[in-house]
Amino acid sequence: MTAPLLTVRGVHRTFGSGAAAVHALRDISFEVEPGTMVALVGRSGSGKTTLLNVIGGLDRPDSGEVTVDGVEVTGLDEDGLSRLRRERVSYVFQNFGLIPVLSAAENVGVPLRLARAEPKEREHRVELLLELVGLADHARQRPGELSGGQQQRVAIARALAASPRLLIADEPTGQLDAETGLSVMALIRGIVESEGVTALVSTHDPVMMALADRVVRIADGQLLP
Amino acid sequence: MRLLPALHWPSIRGRARADAGPLLLVVLVVAAVSLLAAAVPPLLRGTADDAAREAVREHPDESAVRVDARWEDDYGPSGGRVRNDRLARDVEDLGGQAEATLDAGLRDALQPPVTTVTSISLVLTDGSVQRHFQLDYLRSGADGPAVTWLAGRAPGATREGNPEIPLNGSPWEVQVGLSETAAAALKMRPGDHIPLEDEQRNKYNVKVSGVFRPVDPRDPAWRLVPSALRPVAGLDGAGTTRLGGLLSASSLPDARLAFLQDQLRRTVWFSAEPDRLTWESAQRLAATVATLKAESGTSAERDTSLKWQTQLDGVLREVQAQVDAAYGQASVLLIAVLAGAVLVLLLAADLLMRRRSPALIAARQRGASLPGIAGELLIESLVVAVPAAALGIAVAFAVAGDAALPWVVPVASCGILAGPAFGTVAAARGTRDRRTPANRAARLFAQRTAQLRRAALDAAVVLAAVGAIVSLRQRGVGDSALPAAAPALAVIAATLLLVRLMPVVTGVALRQSLRSRRPLAVFGAAQAAATASRVLPLLVLTTTTALASFAVTLSATTGSGLADGAWRTVGADARLDVAPDETGSTAALAAKIAAAPGVTHVVAGDISGGVRVVTNDTSLTPNLVIVDAAAFHRLLASTPLPDAPGLDQLGKGGRDGIPVLVRGSLHPGLSLRLYLEDDQDSGASGGYSTAENAIKLTAVGAAPAIDGMDDVVVIDAAALPGTPDTIWATGPGAARAIDAVAASGHPVVRDAVLAARRSAPLTAGLRALDLAAAGTLLALGMLGFALGAAAGAPARWRTLARLRTLGLRTRDTRRVAAGELLPPVLVAAVSGPLLGVLLVRLTLGPLSLRLITAQSADPPAVVPWWLLGVASIVLLLTLVAVVVAEAAVRRRRGLGDVLRAGGD
Repeated sequence: MTAPLLTVRGVHRTFGSGAAAVHALRDISFEVEPGTMVALVGRSGSGKTTLLNVIGGLDRPDSGEVTVDGVEVTGLDEDGLSRLRRERVSYVFQNFGLIPVLSAAENVGVPLRLARAEPKEREHRVELLLELVGLADHARQRPGELSGGQQQRVAIARALAASPRLLIADEPTGQLDAETGLSVMALIRGIVESEGVTALVSTHDPVMMALADRVVRIADGQLLP
Repeated sequence: MRLLPALHWPSIRGRARADAGPLLLVVLVVAAVSLLAAAVPPLLRGTADDAAREAVREHPDESAVRVDARWEDDYGPSGGRVRNDRLARDVEDLGGQAEATLDAGLRDALQPPVTTVTSISLVLTDGSVQRHFQLDYLRSGADGPAVTWLAGRAPGATREGNPEIPLNGSPWEVQVGLSETAAAALKMRPGDHIPLEDEQRNKYNVKVSGVFRPVDPRDPAWRLVPSALRPVAGLDGAGTTRLGGLLSASSLPDARLAFLQDQLRRTVWFSAEPDRLTWESAQRLAATVATLKAESGTSAERDTSLKWQTQLDGVLREVQAQVDAAYGQASVLLIAVLAGAVLVLLLAADLLMRRRSPALIAARQRGASLPGIAGELLIESLVVAVPAAALGIAVAFAVAGDAALPWVVPVASCGILAGPAFGTVAAARGTRDRRTPANRAARLFAQRTAQLRRAALDAAVVLAAVGAIVSLRQRGVGDSALPAAAPALAVIAATLLLVRLMPVVTGVALRQSLRSRRPLAVFGAAQAAATASRVLPLLVLTTTTALASFAVTLSATTGSGLADGAWRTVGADARLDVAPDETGSTAALAAKIAAAPGVTHVVAGDISGGVRVVTNDTSLTPNLVIVDAAAFHRLLASTPLPDAPGLDQLGKGGRDGIPVLVRGSLHPGLSLRLYLEDDQDSGASGGYSTAENAIKLTAVGAAPAIDGMDDVVVIDAAALPGTPDTIWATGPGAARAIDAVAASGHPVVRDAVLAARRSAPLTAGLRALDLAAAGTLLALGMLGFALGAAAGAPARWRTLARLRTLGLRTRDTRRVAAGELLPPVLVAAVSGPLLGVLLVRLTLGPLSLRLITAQSADPPAVVPWWLLGVASIVLLLTLVAVVVAEAAVRRRRGLGDVLRAGGD
């Protein structure tokens, strides 16, 4: 049996204190096998984004433990977390998060620059990734010149640039129409299969859930059975 | 129908609470700049008043207003002269009549009138040499000046009543009182007759009635006729002494009969009261007297009407030029500060607009009207800006005793209107139906239209700046606001051009950095390129830095000009103008000074003013300086004064005449003929042929500046011996050495001259304003930078947070942030000082700095590069502080919060 790529054990996260305390996550525990696509499903305010942030090291839990690819995320300092995000975990956001003055290709190359990749190697990898997301012809265009779906594809290509083990996508289709959203989810699905990446995608669209290998449901900060 | 828009008070309170920080900054800027703008004009007026008072104190006689009137004929029906026993009353009435001509405001600026009646100067025929005597009647205040009779009594009437006396009778007796000093000098007692005659040897019958002592020797009447109290030398020519006899109201009618019509002069004196005089009242007084003078000038020659005279306008003329120059400079500096403050307030409004934009758009979408939103924002800004401006005005009033309200209007208006205008426009834009055209050509058209609008605005600002500069250079600052705004407009125009270049420059920098392998350089350049088109932050930073540099350079140039002016005035570290009766010992004095410790060079020279020099057919009256040329050259070389290599030429002799150096209207290459007054007998020609009493000269070079004189001819003492009357000395001990022989003349010490000029009211006030303006502008620049950074902070740190999710280290985010903020700082740090210095060079002449520095020509701009470097370093340190502060604030927010969808 393969070791899980992601292990979450007993994670608690509370915002505020006293009577105003909001328990965003309560004793969350689950595992994700490598090379699978997991859909994290829940209503707004259920704790999806908080859980993704804790897993990706963008937020720290009050208690509990998160391990990604054998690295205990909750025990890492700032530099360790930066390294984790540079080498093992990457993100796709609802609002794309591209740098407006850089072209699509330059945006995709950002993680490779951070990883100090050789220019030739970087250019080659960017080319491959843009081809993978179907934007080879738009490499020189800036984000403002691309549609929302195209921008999210560039964001996905950028997320894949440093060959992460875990791809975290927080509502990646939230700003897209249904058809475009579906194509983006299909792209992630395809990437999971072709690149062997593990994807954890939050959504509340039932159509998208159908593309996932597994669905994890969350409500009021607790996983549903 | 509702006339006023509906206001939502909870929104007004909520917005004010949420943005308390920026609003507090607005309060600070409006209050501080209102204080400066309101206080400076009255303070400057105060320094102008001080300057006018100082000038009047220095020239009391020239500043006094004098009113003369001829006597009425006193011929009687039988052809004789009639005694008028009411003459003293008539003379007093003359003072009242003159006083009534002046309005109440002017009377307050003048001391109470002093009426004098003075006779011609008579010659004492008691066997003494060159002693003169004058009869004086004085009246100050109600019955002043008071005297105490030590012996005898006050002068009485020779005969009571109004008898008519024949014209050809014996000299009419008149009684006078003598001061105890005069009595001692004349060796006379009451009852004695003073032997007197005029130039025509007519005898006068003057009898001493008593000997007096003044109760108050400082009474202004004694100052006007000092000889009434003590013997005064030199009033009737070299070597003469004049004494006086005091007439009384009773003996004045007898004096009238003792003298002919034109031998007795009645005058009313109004001395200016420096403490009550203001710049404005002094000018009004001079103008009023000039008018009265013009009206009475011709008629008073014939009748007994009043004839007004004063030289106050002449005294004020020099101060006028200085005050005009000071007002001009102050206007320029104040407009610069106002421009900086207005830009900072616009930036604060921009920051508020960015922070409130989502809420304002949401309110508009929920149905709030634009007038309603504008009204809510206006109420908030009124509550913020009006009390702030009032506070500034109140403090200005407390500090300066007055407040210049018109100068506060720009900054208060901007504080009130900018926020509502920006907020309303943001709400309108966020909810308007206009969409970006889908058609590429239409998009391009819209883009071009926007570009054209910007270009038109830029062109308008550039044209206004050019117009203002041209106006300033052609007409000076004057009373118009446009020339005074020239430096501010020029800097804004130049910065606008730089702003338009910024996207190009940052684009090039980004392309270069993309070729590099340093990710931080790429991210920094990308961030900088993304924000390069923001106009206000760069405009504020560069404009304030340039104008602060302008003010600092102006201050440094003034300081250097004052020092240079003092060098040129004195010509050395110290100078002794030897007293006329001591010129025989000038050589000994020079030797004594040279022997004093700390004296490095000493030169004695002969300066003669107004000698006649003829070149071709033109006659000039330059100052002639006869000096040991070689020694003078060595002395000049030891000072910062310009070298005069021509001095070495003077000792060489010449075929066509004595070689000389010239300055002013004369120029090298000219052949001159020098005519010395009354020197043929003294042998001053030194043995040269003096055909037709002229000495031939050849101008072989340019003379150095000597004692601030305009037209100068310098001759070597070996070629034309003179009588040295001036000693120049240099070295650290020169001032002390010259002071030690001060009794032999008038010492002029450079340090003292410089200190006096530095502390002169206008100069000190202007230099303080220079530095205050520079400090305020620099502070405004730093504040503007912080506000600009705060406005862009959400977007900047959102992007940085995204880069952190890609693996950028926390500490590197600060570097990238610094990279984004660096370009405007660099542009301001480099172009600001350069623009400031360029402006000073362009405006030095029109600002008439020479009038403040007491130089004959415009001083060269002195650039305090180290100070400008410090200003640039301060800007860089501000950048570091802003980045560190921003990073600290952002660190408190989790990365997860920042990246929540839609959040910042």
